[in-house]
Amino acid sequence: MACPDFEDLAQGRAGDHAAHCEDCRALLEALADVDATFDAAFAGVAAPPSLAAAVRMRVERETPVRRPSLVPEVLDFIGWAAVLTLAAVLLPQFLPLIHDVIARLS
Amino acid sequence: MEEEFERIVREYQDKVFRLALSMLGERAAAEEAAQETLVRVWKGLGGFRAESSLSTWIYSIARNTCLTALRRGRVRTASLDDVAPRREVERRTATGWYGAESPDAAELLKRLPVKYRQVAALFYMQEKSYDEVASMLGLPVGTVKTYLFRARKTLAEDLARERVRKGGA
Repeated sequence: MACPDFEDLAQGRAGDHAAHCEDCRALLEALADVDATFDAAFAGVAAPPSLAAAVRMRVERETPVRRPSLVPEVLDFIGWAAVLTLAAVLLPQFLPLIHDVIARLS
Repeated sequence: MEEEFERIVREYQDKVFRLALSMLGERAAAEEAAQETLVRVWKGLGGFRAESSLSTWIYSIARNTCLTALRRGRVRTASLDDVAPRREVERRTATGWYGAESPDAAELLKRLPVKYRQVAALFYMQEKSYDEVASMLGLPVGTVKTYLFRARKTLAEDLARERVRKGGA
């Protein structure tokens, strides 16, 4: 098996050789003909314009919607519950003091 | 990440589509595979660690997606042994095998063995860049050159025969 440069070298030298060999000149001309035919047929093949839009739509559809976390809500609830419990425990202890203050003021 | 993905779609949609077309041979199947490839790229982008280049990664996803499509039998590779009814073959040719403007060129390409056909189709679609074709198909450049020379030689013989046949008809 030759190294990858073989085809280039062979084709380069084939050009020189083809100048005075009718068979090889015919092959090179046939290869050029193939290039012209297939260039005309395939050059500029591009993705359909709808592809990018279809991809965006699928990405949007398949990306899982993130649900907002419940942690802040739960912490908020625990905090308010603690404050209310504390108030319920402490309020009866301070009630006589509050009555005294109100009585003095009136 | 969304901006990065948008850039990838813009830069790679044609290349991925051409690669899929060269492997699957049908525009509709190629479009489906290209779409699937880009969605997989989106899903994997967060975990992409750049151990290989971005293009190598995207092309390998595209090749695997096409191989899966071929294995599932969603796409039948065309060959002379194809037993599809002639009308179906003609319909497909008319709607553009490989997306070629010339049905004759597509027909000639169909006759090549799969490995030569992929290289040749991609070579002409990809502005005749050996390096691009090698990178897209995951083949060494030397192999691409060898396959391509054999493909072009076969195509030259077939093209000449076809012209004689049409000229004589």
